Amino acid sequence: MTEWGSHSIDTFGLVEHARQERCAMCDGENRHAAEFCWHCRAPVALAFPTDRKRAAPRLVAVVGPPGVGKTVYLGMLTDILSRQRGSLQILARGAYSVSLQQQSMSALARREFPPSTPSEPDGWNWVHCEVSKSSRKRPQQFVMPDIGGEAYLQEVEHAHSVPSIRAYLSKCTAAMMLVDTAALEDGAQEQDFLAMKTVSYFVELDGRRKKGWPARPMAIVFTKSDQSEACFENVEEFARSHTPGLWRICQERLGRHRFFAASVVGASAPLNILGETVSIPLRIEPRGVEAPFAWLVERLG
Amino acid sequence: MKRRKATEDEDPSILSAPAATDNVRAVDPFQQILVQGRCALLLRPQIVETLEDSQIEQARRAFGTMSSLVPAGDVLLQAWQCGQLESINESLTIARRFHVGSLYLDRHVVTNEQYWFFLEAGGYLQESLWNQAAWQRVNEFVDQDGKPGPMGWKSGSFDAGAAQHPVVGISWFEADAYAHWAGKRLPTDAEWVKAASWPVEADDGELVQRRFPWGDTPDAQKANLWGSHRRGTAPVTAFPDGSSIGGVHQLIGNVWEWTSTSLQVANASGRVRLEGLFKILRGGAFDTYFDNQATCQFQSADAPFARRHNIGFRCATGMCDVAGAAEADRLEDAGSLCAGTVGEEITA
Repeated sequence: MTEWGSHSIDTFGLVEHARQERCAMCDGENRHAAEFCWHCRAPVALAFPTDRKRAAPRLVAVVGPPGVGKTVYLGMLTDILSRQRGSLQILARGAYSVSLQQQSMSALARREFPPSTPSEPDGWNWVHCEVSKSSRKRPQQFVMPDIGGEAYLQEVEHAHSVPSIRAYLSKCTAAMMLVDTAALEDGAQEQDFLAMKTVSYFVELDGRRKKGWPARPMAIVFTKSDQSEACFENVEEFARSHTPGLWRICQERLGRHRFFAASVVGASAPLNILGETVSIPLRIEPRGVEAPFAWLVERLG
Repeated sequence: MKRRKATEDEDPSILSAPAATDNVRAVDPFQQILVQGRCALLLRPQIVETLEDSQIEQARRAFGTMSSLVPAGDVLLQAWQCGQLESINESLTIARRFHVGSLYLDRHVVTNEQYWFFLEAGGYLQESLWNQAAWQRVNEFVDQDGKPGPMGWKSGSFDAGAAQHPVVGISWFEADAYAHWAGKRLPTDAEWVKAASWPVEADDGELVQRRFPWGDTPDAQKANLWGSHRRGTAPVTAFPDGSSIGGVHQLIGNVWEWTSTSLQVANASGRVRLEGLFKILRGGAFDTYFDNQATCQFQSADAPFARRHNIGFRCATGMCDVAGAAEADRLEDAGSLCAGTVGEEITA
């Protein structure tokens, strides 16, 4: 893009304007001072490492269909890990990384669910954080965007239809796939099919046995597990019985995967408002939220 | 059946007065009922006439240790609160004033050990104790080994070391049946809030209520909540500094408590309707994340058949069910308590 006369002529301004930053997500070039990537709308700051060795951040895919609970899960995960004094802690990088946590927690404290994430990347919340482990001296950087469920589903159904998502997922070194326990308990097979498609999509994205998705860790998280005590008691058995297709494809295609049960809401109630049924969280009681992420961090070393 | 014996640090007030666990099979029926923690049953007007003076005194002492008097008075209940309903421009958050008669509320929630007495006495086999709707499904109330009992128990018994922890994993119907067996009932929603927030009427007639039983500021040292970092239930005698003015322990934190009241969404136009039956829960639990969801006023709920890892209960006794107590109180107040109603609403 050509701009005329919009910058004062001083050395600092010229240097800033001339310096290019490569987007961590799509590799597109941007001005150093830009907040969001001109090409894919991801935060340009994701490309700025914090340590002197300029270690690239680890990109984690948090995926699932619309309404599975990605925003609530990510918001609660970051809130728990940024508040606790345990062996695993995170520290947000940049104000934009706190936004997801802030929005989710504010809504849940009011007994509401946060609004659904838009399809466009400039509407996503990006979690860019430093992860500290008690067993490790140097913190690691992680990036976990809250990808819009509709857009993700479109890309999985029609590969290459959403280039920004494909570009990001192709760079990820680990993934968390979320599956809706409440929908499974209702007897619907839709979640099983969608999860099978996700595994197929990832393996097609990079199917190399030693470096591709067959070798990368994938945590499969059954969200809303407050709907099923059986899921918490034996998640492997729950996966085998409720998502037989997913279970089989994981055994055959993924070398490093594990099932987890998690819930943020203790219970919810269906409220009929003007003929439309809305689920209202009755109380917030996180269960099993940290375990999938802790497992991934452990696997990534 | 293998069971753990009571340890020295266990508070006798949460058991029956003698607290002699191994005497549960005592030959004397009077002593057996005392050991089981059912002294309220002995003090019923119909029963007390058959007892000797020394037995009455013994039962009263045990009952006084277990229960706390909640005086009659008004209480403000801030019921359903839901921001998603703002879109229809009708606030469902209504602070309603209720009158609550005097009652006795258990100082502690029911423990695993107390509940075991109920199980051992054949509580799951006595149809008269159960709600008719639940009786048809009583076979579903089993533990991990398929035996009758709370969800988390194994082979009809609780984990070693958990005798003084609250019983959890019980449905509303199981809590209700236990209360009947013990000669008590579940408290109503208004009674629970009255006991916890201890309202005081100011000169202008306004009620001043506490946000927490100990005051108005959240304190992780006074209740077992997420911020306490225990991640599990605590013995019912823990956190003594969090007691209410009346000396009722752990009204906030440790486990949610079933009340006898059904959740209702007040809405004059009928444009908002709750689908299904939910019983009101109060108090918050060890895994309640937000402090504002573990206050005296915060109202949660769950389906009456739900058996959760963090829901327990405590019992209440109406004044009219305790011989001699009703005379000391206004009989009309006691009348509403006997029926177990929400209470009389004063203003809307």
